[in-house]
Amino acid sequence: MEGLAGSAAFTPAWHLRAASCAVKWLDGHPGLKSFLPFVPIILLWAAIAHSGIFPRVFFPGPWDVIASFANLIYKGILPDYLEDSIVRLVLGAGVGTLTGIPLGLLIGLSPLGQRFLWPLIVFFQAVGDIAWLPILLIWFGFGLTTMTFVIVYTVLFPVVLNTVLGVRSIRLEFVRAAQSLGAGRLRILHEVIVPGALPNIITGLRNGLGWGWRALIASEMIVGTSGVGFMMFDARRAGQVTEVLLGMILLGLLWYVVDGWILVPLEQATIQRWGVVARTD
Amino acid sequence: MGPNAVTRGRASTLRPRVVDAAWFLAPFLVLVVVWAVVVRAFHVPLRLFPSVGDVLQAGLQEIQRGTLLDHIAQSLTRVAVGAILAIVASIPLGIAMSTNRLVAALLTPILRFFAVLAGIAWIPIATLWFGYGFGAITFVIFNAVFFVVTYNTILGVASIPQAVRNAAASLGATPRQILVEVLLPGALPNIVTGIRTGMGYAWRGLIAAEMIATNAGLGYMLFMARDFYRTEVIILGMILIGVIWLAMDRLILAPVERRTIERWGLARRMGT
Repeated sequence: MEGLAGSAAFTPAWHLRAASCAVKWLDGHPGLKSFLPFVPIILLWAAIAHSGIFPRVFFPGPWDVIASFANLIYKGILPDYLEDSIVRLVLGAGVGTLTGIPLGLLIGLSPLGQRFLWPLIVFFQAVGDIAWLPILLIWFGFGLTTMTFVIVYTVLFPVVLNTVLGVRSIRLEFVRAAQSLGAGRLRILHEVIVPGALPNIITGLRNGLGWGWRALIASEMIVGTSGVGFMMFDARRAGQVTEVLLGMILLGLLWYVVDGWILVPLEQATIQRWGVVARTD
Repeated sequence: MGPNAVTRGRASTLRPRVVDAAWFLAPFLVLVVVWAVVVRAFHVPLRLFPSVGDVLQAGLQEIQRGTLLDHIAQSLTRVAVGAILAIVASIPLGIAMSTNRLVAALLTPILRFFAVLAGIAWIPIATLWFGYGFGAITFVIFNAVFFVVTYNTILGVASIPQAVRNAAASLGATPRQILVEVLLPGALPNIVTGIRTGMGYAWRGLIAAEMIATNAGLGYMLFMARDFYRTEVIILGMILIGVIWLAMDRLILAPVERRTIERWGLARRMGT
């Protein structure tokens, strides 16, 4: 940005070259590139906070948030809470995927399974994760089980639905080819159906984690023992707007990183490696 | 998709529908029977899990006292107000973003960032800004719907083939005509899909927000019932939350989505 502003005084050609250089350099640093649009927003935020239109207590500036970030890191609260949140999310996503795939295969492969389970899936998905919290609190108390259950619940349905989609998208020819080459049922499942459905399954996992992330924050606020969601809600109770904002920014950033750097590449890699169905179409 | 749906509509007489409905309901009957048998056979304490009769009785009781309908009405009003405000605000923004490249380049990452935060993460700060109650909850719902619909509007405009836009322009359409006769109808199927997804987020966000930040509504009813260990009210509330969402989604949102795609899904069919 600075280079651009300085170059404006020189000839337009120089200006353009500097701009294209900057763009090229940014292409090599995707993290920076996606950060760039936030610069004006942060400046605007700082300006509004500094102007004092809103009382500082309700509307802290970027520096306050950074200071509170440093402070909470120094005290060791933030790393602990982040770890708690991530452990819950990973555990929930793992269990959810491991139960979702077999369920999805059952529904996708067996007509009876589909007839019986499908209405239940539709209904229980409609009930929604957070509506389970009150009864979970009665059953399991304020522990890891409650949180994990909520996240498993959120991740499960997208994985099941997408597994079913994936199984349905496998062409019959492939199954027949494997059959006529003498593959047994288990081998077809293992070598044709599961790999064929894998791209969809990963998409389902990605969707599910998007929901799970929200559910995690909500349940941390409601259950209130630890985690980033709890930190935000606790700060709200104490009137610490700075920490609330910090929590929101962290949540956004974390998801940005998890989705952009882990889930999307994983999805693309899976589609490239196993997405036979898509390619032959 | 279009012609197929039409023939299916004509061919369907009453009997297959009844059979379908029976097949849909059968698993729930089995579930209720299992529930009734297990609760009775194992003497599950009411504190942990209510019997079928208790839940029905709780439902009748709450209806007679008028509280249940009141909670439902409160929840629905909040969702309606938040969603309508969000839809009205997000469609123009989405179209502005998709017709102006600079605006798009600037706002897209920000949109993605806030889309992740949408809904529940705003509860603490919404309650600070608006206080506990209607304002905070409507804000949360607004957020949940706003970003999804904006994003889908952009997708929708992008899905309109350039040829269609060029054709309109070369026939002498003004920018306003292009907006009203090309961009809006072309993006409509995506917009409606976005509204449906956003409503899904909003409904969950509503329940969470009501548990935290209000003194009425279905979420509040559930959470209060937990304080008094009234599991029958909790289960009743959960069933209602599911049934109301299913009714909203299947009876209103899904048909509207299907019809919009049939009526205006021209761009997509031509595009592919």
